[in-house]
Amino acid sequence: MFEPVLTKNVGNPAALTLKGYKKSGGYEGLAKALQMEPDTIIEEVKKSGLRGRGGAGFSAGLKWSFIPKNITPKYLVCNADESEPGTFKDRLLMEYDPHQLIEGCAICCWAVQANICYIYIRGEYTKAATILERALKEAYEGGILGGSLMGSGFKLDMYIHRGAGAYICGEETGMLESLEGKRGQPRVKPPFPAVVGAFGKPTVINNVETLCNVPHIITRGADWYKSIGTDERNTGPKLYAISGHVERPGTYEYPIGITFREMLENAGGMYRGGTLKAFIPGGASAPILPASQIDIKMDFDTVAKAGSMLGSAAVIVMDETTCMVRSVARLAKFFNHESCGQCTPCREGTNWMELLLKRIEHGEGTESDGRLLLSICGQIGGNSLCALGDAAIGPVKSLVERFYPEVEQHVRERRCPFPQRRHFQNGA
Amino acid sequence: MPKVTINDRTVEVETGTNVIEAALKVGVQIPHYCYHPRLSVVGQCRMCLVKVEGMPKLQAGCSTQVMKDGMVVRTDVPEVEEAQKGMMEFFLINHPLDCPICDQAGECGLQDYSFKHGVAYSRFLFEDKRTYPGRERIPLGPNVILNMNRCIQCTRCVRFTQEVSQTAELGFFNRGARAEIGVFPGKPLENHLSTCVVDICPVGALTSTRFRFAERVFYLDKKPSLCTGCENGCNVTIEHRRGDIKRYKPRFNPEVNDYWMCDYGRSTFERYKRMPRLSTVRVRPEATGNGGFTGGWKEALDLLHRRLRSRDGGAVAFLGSGFLTVEEAYLFGKLADTLGSPHRSVPVDLGPTWTIPNTKGGISGTEAAPNRRGAELAGLAAGVSQGGPVLDADELLLGDGASNCSVLIVCDSDFGRAAHDPAVVERLRRAKLLVVFGWCDSPLAKAADIALPVPTHAEKDGTFVNVEWRLQHFGSAYPAPGQVRPLVDVLVDLLARFDGSWAKLSTGAVFDRLAAEHPAFAGLAWKDLPAVGVTLNVPEARAAVDATTASTTQEV
Amino acid sequence: MSVSEPKVTSTGLPPAAKAELDEIRKRYPTDEAALLPALHIAQRLWGGWLPDEALEAVAAELGLPVSKVYGVVTFYDLYHQKPVGRHRIRVCTNLSCQLRGSEEIMEAVREELRVEEDEVTPDGRCSYVHFECLGSCDTAPMMMVDETYHENLTPRRVRDILRGLK
Repeated sequence: MFEPVLTKNVGNPAALTLKGYKKSGGYEGLAKALQMEPDTIIEEVKKSGLRGRGGAGFSAGLKWSFIPKNITPKYLVCNADESEPGTFKDRLLMEYDPHQLIEGCAICCWAVQANICYIYIRGEYTKAATILERALKEAYEGGILGGSLMGSGFKLDMYIHRGAGAYICGEETGMLESLEGKRGQPRVKPPFPAVVGAFGKPTVINNVETLCNVPHIITRGADWYKSIGTDERNTGPKLYAISGHVERPGTYEYPIGITFREMLENAGGMYRGGTLKAFIPGGASAPILPASQIDIKMDFDTVAKAGSMLGSAAVIVMDETTCMVRSVARLAKFFNHESCGQCTPCREGTNWMELLLKRIEHGEGTESDGRLLLSICGQIGGNSLCALGDAAIGPVKSLVERFYPEVEQHVRERRCPFPQRRHFQNGA
Repeated sequence: MPKVTINDRTVEVETGTNVIEAALKVGVQIPHYCYHPRLSVVGQCRMCLVKVEGMPKLQAGCSTQVMKDGMVVRTDVPEVEEAQKGMMEFFLINHPLDCPICDQAGECGLQDYSFKHGVAYSRFLFEDKRTYPGRERIPLGPNVILNMNRCIQCTRCVRFTQEVSQTAELGFFNRGARAEIGVFPGKPLENHLSTCVVDICPVGALTSTRFRFAERVFYLDKKPSLCTGCENGCNVTIEHRRGDIKRYKPRFNPEVNDYWMCDYGRSTFERYKRMPRLSTVRVRPEATGNGGFTGGWKEALDLLHRRLRSRDGGAVAFLGSGFLTVEEAYLFGKLADTLGSPHRSVPVDLGPTWTIPNTKGGISGTEAAPNRRGAELAGLAAGVSQGGPVLDADELLLGDGASNCSVLIVCDSDFGRAAHDPAVVERLRRAKLLVVFGWCDSPLAKAADIALPVPTHAEKDGTFVNVEWRLQHFGSAYPAPGQVRPLVDVLVDLLARFDGSWAKLSTGAVFDRLAAEHPAFAGLAWKDLPAVGVTLNVPEARAAVDATTASTTQEV
Repeated sequence: MSVSEPKVTSTGLPPAAKAELDEIRKRYPTDEAALLPALHIAQRLWGGWLPDEALEAVAAELGLPVSKVYGVVTFYDLYHQKPVGRHRIRVCTNLSCQLRGSEEIMEAVREELRVEEDEVTPDGRCSYVHFECLGSCDTAPMMMVDETYHENLTPRRVRDILRGLK
């Protein structure tokens, strides 16, 4: 039986306080880390196989090892700008176990010798920000943060930086721009943030969940961590946020690599007894998978092999009443709305795709529209300045490639074949 | 220095050179909109995508730097051409098809690249083009008009005001497909370089209030020249149609004005249209001594020659001008030498200080004429008098100096504000014979005994020496009208009457004579003058050069 | 129509806000970095939106060109450039909520408030917009009223919530 690691304090309100968190074993990882050489920590994290939980799945330890030693100051920016549609796991971590995140950030800062950490939290998460703020205050007062990190003499300041509503600020360089008080327009890379990051200085940017893993890796060791998961490249506990047409949507913690079928069963099965039609395995940017993929192992590599991505592991489930064109049109609207507007393929392409999909959905599509959509995807894919362009084409491509008959049906019948579903009777 | 291979051609470039610049060195043009050599690299138009060997995706040529040997780049492969085609389609789907009424047509980046890289049909058939109602002709400031419908969001203009003029009036607003450029309400685009944003706008979004609808650009003749607005000597292109100047555009010279010029400079040609033109030889009947004057140039010069020789016991004074070329000033100086006259000066007006940014810390000019230094160097600096005061500009313009002149030669009828001041004209009129050369029929020219029509700077060739002692050459943009004769021709003609060796010398030959004789110009030859100009070997020039070297050394 | 009146003049931020901002500025190596927090403060002061004078005050305070501040304000969804209601309602309509009936929630809000999206009710009480994913997909459909998440909504609950707003 898998015992939750990251969410073990969910349902334990005492953990919100420093005292309660410590009682549950909190800050032991930090204490241990401070006895270790920074490089040893980086090696341990590398060895654990921890891959970024934000979406790209890049090795966290490797990222830390890119930070040059001879440049100061250095920064850690914790990416708490969780905005990928379908994703709500980081909010849970922050609202229920803020000290776990602070501890993870602190260990990372010590490992890369960064004296300042900014937690960039999306502007809408006011509750999480308040809880974190309170926890930070306690951590300062409790002698953990400030002039001497847990009495080690290492100076560490940690601040909350609230965003203001822009998905693109979840892109790491967009986030840095936003942190610096600018429009959140991603930067050209290289240089990479590890060398030229926040305020032109070396910067680590890690997702909330990634950092929350760190204390446990330090406390219990990389070998323990690696024992969880499918293989060497897919290790550790993972939060899966499941939503859409399921009976009990929510955040679930599993060893990475649980099958989608198990996950669905644990979430109470399909909503109101529906039949599975399709699911998105990793947030709005992930190509949609058909029901036939129900037994897929939900780890980075297996999902990638199936032609999608684990991304933020936000699973959106759709039943047979769902119009795929309409669903993808909604996602296209999202990407159009969130495109920062600086680079041509993303600015123009996401806009065009939304218009086109809406037209098809309204029954005004033509037979060549499917091809046109794919062609637009091809013109955006790989050519945009940041990853948003590639993200935006994920669902659209999968619609044309995997659900084409539905697109055709819209064109042929000159209407959406799916009746508008009413979820509520008499207002309830 | 690392070597890079672009389309099979290898070139050595400085470390950090980007692929667009490196490609230019081997004659490969990589299309681009947002990249500009003097603006920060943002990589956002995605038009410059190239294939770099070993990279999985296409790379932006602007932001890809050559850092070490062995980079292999291709721009002539199908995936690059596909990407360019795709980008062109994206640029055009929301761009109005209004070339026939667009001022940019003919010099438009979209037209050029669609022809080269785009396709001739549209797949954007059923959707409405994005428009910005009410934002089709917004004055951003006194000199620039925005049509947002045509904007391709390259943000060159925004970066220009942030990084070059450092006034930051322009901003990039909104997000995604609604992203647009503009000014904050009540904070117009009002810096002295503002029209540069029109130059760098690759499309018809920003147009110049002054030039708008003045002429279709494909009807313009373009000739390299220099701005005469101040002593900076900004390199410009004179764009005219049949001698009617429509606009000045800055011409790249990294040593002077880089890619830029000021709004004031752009307006200076309007003087040639606003002021009355002196286009015929005019001699007052009284001046001939024998009734009416019926001749032309020859007769006028004969008369002048006669009066200069006889001199009637008075002085001959030369009132120079900062608008003369070096060669013209040299010839006037020679004439003064011949007559033994120390009475020379070059009056110039002081204007506001215009600063043009360049990579060397900028160039600043305050004198409102392009060549005071050159004119003085070449021979119009005041000489030493053998008794009595030198009749210099102060004596002549403010005092009663002209009363002592038997002949007063004003070298330029529009040398400054004073030429239009009735009080000054009255003072100069006190000379026994007042001779005025010039293009402008100013009050001073009207008062002259002999008024001789010579070209504007757009109609002549020669050299100017700018505020940093840089000698720069310029040529005539179009022929002069009417009886106007090049001043160099006129002066060698006049000098030849004293000394036959001057006869029929060209401007170049005059310059070479000057160079042979004057240490500041030593070693220079007319036909070898460098395109970016050359710093003169004068103490002041040397001092300035030494000062920069010294400060650079300190920084290192 | 009672839209929120500006509370300070364009001469700058009031002392309390200035003090709050000064505290925040210490966190960053540049003044510009304090822009987002400064705008959050200014928006609170100006009654939920940012008129031009608010932008000018913030720009002056941080020594930034106002065009830059304007660029930032127009970039982010949480800053408003026109008057909003005393209560700001954001209904999540992204895919997870759409799959669970967010359109019906939008309808319920519209019916209850009787104004269109982005308009302010005549009494100045409410304004509403549809919004992108608010990270509460497990409790879809949901909406955010001011800073509070209201989850697992039904049209009836929406009515109750909206009627409870002062």
